[in-house]
Amino acid sequence: MDLHNKNKTCWNCPAAIFKGNVDFRGCGQSRRIVPKGNEKHIVIECARRPELGHFEPSITFEECPEWIPMKYGYMLRDMRVMILGIDGYLGWTLALKLGKLGFKVSGIDNYTRRNCVMEKGSHTVVPIKRMTERLRAAKEVLGIEINFRRMDIRDREKLREFMEEVKPEAIVHYAEIPAAPYSMVDAEHAIYVQNNNVLGTLGLLWVMKDVVPSSSLLKLGTMGEYGSPLTGRPLFEGMFPADAVLQWDNREWSMGGELTPRDPQSFYHVSKVQDTYNIYESCKYWWLRSYDIMQGVIYGVHTDEVAADERLRTRFDYDEWFGTVINRFVTQAVAGIPLTVYGEGEQIRGMIALEDAMECMVRLIVSPPEPGQYDVVNQVSGVHKIKDIAETVAKVGKEKFGIDVKIQRLENPRVEAERHPLEVVSKKLPNEFGFRPKVPLEKEVERMFDLLTKEEIKKRIMEKIHVIMPVTRWTGEKKKSEVLEIYTPGTKKDEGYKGRLDT
Amino acid sequence: MKRKRTVIIGIDGVPFSLMKNLSDDGTMDNFASLVDQGSFVPMRSSIPEISNVSWSSVITGKNPGEHGVYGFTELIPGTYSIMFPDFRALKSGTFWQENPEKKYVVINLPSTYPAGEINGVLISGFVSPDLNRAVYPESLLVELQKLNYRIDVDSEKAHRSYKLFLDELFEVLEIRRKTYRYLWDYKWDLFFFVITGSDRLEHFLWNAYEDESSEYHEKFIDYFRKIDEIIGEIVKKTSEDDQIILLSDHGMEGIRYNVNLNTYLSETGFLNADNNPEKRYRNIKKGTKAFVLDPGRVYLNRTGKYPNGTVTEEREEDVIDDLISCFKDLKKDGENVFRKIYRKKEIYHGKFLNNAPDLVLMPNKGYNLRGGIGKKDIFTRDIFEGKHTYEDAFLYVRNGDIPENVSVEDIRKIIGY
Repeated sequence: MDLHNKNKTCWNCPAAIFKGNVDFRGCGQSRRIVPKGNEKHIVIECARRPELGHFEPSITFEECPEWIPMKYGYMLRDMRVMILGIDGYLGWTLALKLGKLGFKVSGIDNYTRRNCVMEKGSHTVVPIKRMTERLRAAKEVLGIEINFRRMDIRDREKLREFMEEVKPEAIVHYAEIPAAPYSMVDAEHAIYVQNNNVLGTLGLLWVMKDVVPSSSLLKLGTMGEYGSPLTGRPLFEGMFPADAVLQWDNREWSMGGELTPRDPQSFYHVSKVQDTYNIYESCKYWWLRSYDIMQGVIYGVHTDEVAADERLRTRFDYDEWFGTVINRFVTQAVAGIPLTVYGEGEQIRGMIALEDAMECMVRLIVSPPEPGQYDVVNQVSGVHKIKDIAETVAKVGKEKFGIDVKIQRLENPRVEAERHPLEVVSKKLPNEFGFRPKVPLEKEVERMFDLLTKEEIKKRIMEKIHVIMPVTRWTGEKKKSEVLEIYTPGTKKDEGYKGRLDT
Repeated sequence: MKRKRTVIIGIDGVPFSLMKNLSDDGTMDNFASLVDQGSFVPMRSSIPEISNVSWSSVITGKNPGEHGVYGFTELIPGTYSIMFPDFRALKSGTFWQENPEKKYVVINLPSTYPAGEINGVLISGFVSPDLNRAVYPESLLVELQKLNYRIDVDSEKAHRSYKLFLDELFEVLEIRRKTYRYLWDYKWDLFFFVITGSDRLEHFLWNAYEDESSEYHEKFIDYFRKIDEIIGEIVKKTSEDDQIILLSDHGMEGIRYNVNLNTYLSETGFLNADNNPEKRYRNIKKGTKAFVLDPGRVYLNRTGKYPNGTVTEEREEDVIDDLISCFKDLKKDGENVFRKIYRKKEIYHGKFLNNAPDLVLMPNKGYNLRGGIGKKDIFTRDIFEGKHTYEDAFLYVRNGDIPENVSVEDIRKIIGY
């Protein structure tokens, strides 16, 4: 079997305990110092194979009996993964997937997401159980033991204790408030989001440095960190490629390896950018290792694990603050509300289905960066225009479920370009981590309709129907967006820019 | 009744001839007078004559086929990655493990890292990457830190300046002396004290020993004068009934040439490898029939054992025969490089022959056998001046019988447990 991470070595393995004669530092990038002559060796010990004593860190995952082949690459036997924010949309879904694959899963959550959604008068339309029941169901249905601790990520003492107990070999960081509109509600909300996200991540880095410096950090960023540059400059994966050049004043400089510009679109996005810099620095100062994952707009309801039992379902939000665009469109269609396109609807975004995103995460977890390596991946499986997505949702709704829905253009509550080119580079996941998207947009939309049209769920949608129309404006006003136009799907001409995905 | 006690002083890498010369010429007076009270003979080292193999034989009384350690390096099973076998790789019990009723003080004994449980004290010698784990019990660390204890000299210094290197050798020897003094008053039945700077000194400055006009000759001799002082000091503390053993783990001689055996195998078609220094043995490609690990351990590149294994079980004997005749052909200036070529079964016995080399090459005088991949020439020279020898380690015993044709495996018999 040819697995993507077969040639990774002890350098990437969290079980490797590096000894002297090593210097990884080189401006935040890892570097191997090759000793002169044959007499000297960089040596390690292995936490999992102490009988090997000291040895050169060159055993490949393919060669090492501790790394066993599975569907998504070689995985470290019983690898310990801690998910921060394990109760959330992604956290819970990933926990089940990892558990099913044989990972030892632990996690923390303080139910911030449940509380924020409740505070805004909404609820998850797919009902989810209390954590104790979720854990019990995971055990009963999937045979998974999850080591859960209720805590705030910002409680460093508690976090440290838990890390010392578990000694995670990878840490997936989902413990952030992932909502641009929520961060724009007012000063309270903006400060709350930045406090939780930025300080939570910063504290985490300090704890990792002390307790699990060789664990890899898989940090959820967002494609929104980059913004959507009007020049159409490609959105590279975090850093400029080696052959990028800056020209100015008849002179030129290589930009290779430098962080690309970030242009966040809300105070929430700013918090993610701040995280990026904090992580980048900690990799440089302390040889931590991290993948900063710029995830496209997420959508969907399905993985085999969450679909295995009603009690295992992950949450699904549709309100203006926490609902993502495709999830909202499908809900609106089910509720009979014209799909809410903001402004011209010519905005183009990178997107990814839940199931594909989870596969990417597993592939990244089993292929850790080297010590000191900070790397960025753009986790995107398709690039779509908002207007086109509305068309797709309307089409699937009509053809497969007999739902007739119109599309409405609303005054854009956000400050953003409504018409712009977009070129997303997403080469690493397919080329280095063996990822091939498996879920076409239409397929996942159909699965969503399938679930959301169930009577009890439809009822839940209707119960909080008032949370659908946006009232949070980037200007700070609280005002409903006026309807600019209502039209029938299939009646608009295809115009404007086309998005592009480079894989 | 007073218990019989044993004191062992190990002096790493010192040949019989050197001890004899320096005790005859008055440099090592204390040792000379000790010789009058016991037996002083040449001793066979282990095969190969490498410190960690040899000391492992000393403390287990076993040959490598039984204790499982064949060299400073091994390849990790299923890979071409190098590992450095340490105490965890030792498959036989040591005298302190098998006689836990006795009390021990063991200082600077190579190849005992990480320091495990002992009825007494153990400070591991080289290679010990972390002092915290080289000391048992851990409580002793505080005192060692006060002494500024060091496991080994920093040989890196020899590459920069012999003066720095020599200063460091003397400094570390002095620390070692303070350490033994501190531990002497512990309760013990066996006190095992090893000096390892001698091996480092000889590797870098053997010519300074042989060449009296060398600017470092006096310093070299001084170092042994100081060792002799320590010997005298220790002997004075013993009673007449105490058993005293002095020994080295292997001998030493001057290097005429390094012999890069994998280069030879490459030229004769047995080895097919790339030349990336960072990759070391991972350069080995399909089609390779054999390769050499330091110093002269020849391994067949077996299918099923190595990622690019080439030699099948049916072909093993043929390839070994071909290798032997190929090595017999290697000459320098008309002289054979090897005086003996052993097959595995001729020299090793025991349960752990799996890791044993298929052939072990024993060189003629002055040929320093080398593994490693990627050297351009077969015969080279470098900074090192001394190389290990097999036949002339030395052994001195007071109050004990030395068997005929003694080797490092006999030390436990002489101690009696």
